[in-house]
Amino acid sequence: MTEKNAAGPELACAKCQQALVLGKVKASYLGNSFEVDLLRCPGCGFVYVPEALALGKMLQVEQALEDK
Amino acid sequence: MSDRLLAVTESVCPVCLRTVAAQRVATGDDVYLHKRCPEHGAFKTIVWRGLETYFQWGERGSRAAAPPVTETPVERGCPHDCGICPEHRQHSCCVLLEVTQRCNLRCPVCFASAEREDSDPDIAEIEAWLRLLQRHGSPVNIQLSGGEPTVRDDLPEIVARCRMLGFDFVQLNTNGLRLAKEAGYAKQLADAGLDCVFLQFDGVSDGVYRRIRGANLLAVKKTAIMRCADAGLGVVLVPTLVPGVNVGEIGNILAFALARVPAVRAVHFQPVSYFGRYPAAPADRDRITLPEVMRELERQTDGMVQASDFAPGSAENAYCSFSGKFFVGGNGRLHAAAAPGGGCGDSSSGCGCGLPAADDAAQRARRVVAGQWAAEAAEAASPDTPGIGIASFEAFLANHRHSFSISGMAFQDAWNLDLERLRECFIHVVSPDRRVIPFCAYNLTSASGEPLYRRPHHECALA
Repeated sequence: MTEKNAAGPELACAKCQQALVLGKVKASYLGNSFEVDLLRCPGCGFVYVPEALALGKMLQVEQALEDK
Repeated sequence: MSDRLLAVTESVCPVCLRTVAAQRVATGDDVYLHKRCPEHGAFKTIVWRGLETYFQWGERGSRAAAPPVTETPVERGCPHDCGICPEHRQHSCCVLLEVTQRCNLRCPVCFASAEREDSDPDIAEIEAWLRLLQRHGSPVNIQLSGGEPTVRDDLPEIVARCRMLGFDFVQLNTNGLRLAKEAGYAKQLADAGLDCVFLQFDGVSDGVYRRIRGANLLAVKKTAIMRCADAGLGVVLVPTLVPGVNVGEIGNILAFALARVPAVRAVHFQPVSYFGRYPAAPADRDRITLPEVMRELERQTDGMVQASDFAPGSAENAYCSFSGKFFVGGNGRLHAAAAPGGGCGDSSSGCGCGLPAADDAAQRARRVVAGQWAAEAAEAASPDTPGIGIASFEAFLANHRHSFSISGMAFQDAWNLDLERLRECFIHVVSPDRRVIPFCAYNLTSASGEPLYRRPHHECALA
């Protein structure tokens, strides 16, 4: 939840110019799916993954799955 | 006790380095290398203490494969034609680039140190080495070595050059001094594309460091590991095991490593070998062999790790290494994973920086992680959700057991050199005259310190 402030609702989709909204997103990797709440574009479905998440918990999960 | 001939092979005379016939002979439970030089007499050196594992390791058989490119003709016979010659029986897997002969430590056992900066190969020369390796066809891991590579201020540029030329796994062999002392240095190297740090780590007490390295270094090692963790660099602890100095710390080294998972990914033990000047042959009591390291691991961890958890490495000669893959349980204890095996890079036996292939891939993925994840909308947004939620990631990670490797590699010196093993060596060094030379041949010195390949002022007693 550390990204709550950084990933504020003012972010907009570069393609659709629509404000990103929080929504449930299913992230899949190597056959495993995780339901997480992330900002996404209501128009095109683009999902915004904050850098800290991509290089943090998300990377750890990825490494863990690769280790299996 | 009666002797039993196990195999015939070849070695060198430790005095004159000429190639001589040799035999592996069992005496009781121990295996010795016997050889005789017509000029300098007979020599006998312990190579493996434990017949049961000797036969187990032998069962793996040879994984010999002809190098795709050879550059030096066979003239005088192994180990005198290295470069690589057509009689070599293994590809390069991990290639060491000695980017400097200078060092920022003054180890009592090492002669590297006092050279001038202008003796370092320049970046253009290092690039020429990399292009030479490209011509050899098969992909290799690069280990930046020395001397102490971090004394070069342009090391990040060298790392970046390796990556730019397509070498996608770059590891750094270091004593950790600069990583510890210079905040931001680890990140600089990580940003340049470094994957992994092969950290000299001889023990968990300063007495060990004073004996082997001539300085109190434990605090430095701890800080270096912390800095690597912060920068996202994987660390492999690499103890050089010296009987009477740090063999009793094997269990504590492992416990130290496990307390720092996942920053520390593996421990890679290297029994001491004797390069440099030795007027008298090193005594057998000054050597620890691989099966003893495995037994000590079992004994010093009260059986958490079992000698039976280990197997020979992947592509190198079976007697050069052992490796085992484990999972770290929630209680911080190790559990054996599937037996190691497979191709180069799957093993932790000195290739791939002691990391299994999955970790290698994971390291590369660090740069492109977001792009590798497939994300799709699960359902409509719920605007009343207070913020992004990653509870499912956290729950998974809490339950996940990290993988961890323990391995060992026995380098060879003029007394215990077995040419059958040397011919299957896959750890190679690029020499200043741009030849690719198997590691143990490159470091080989006669009893008087005369090198077979390396120039005298580059001698180092510890592998």
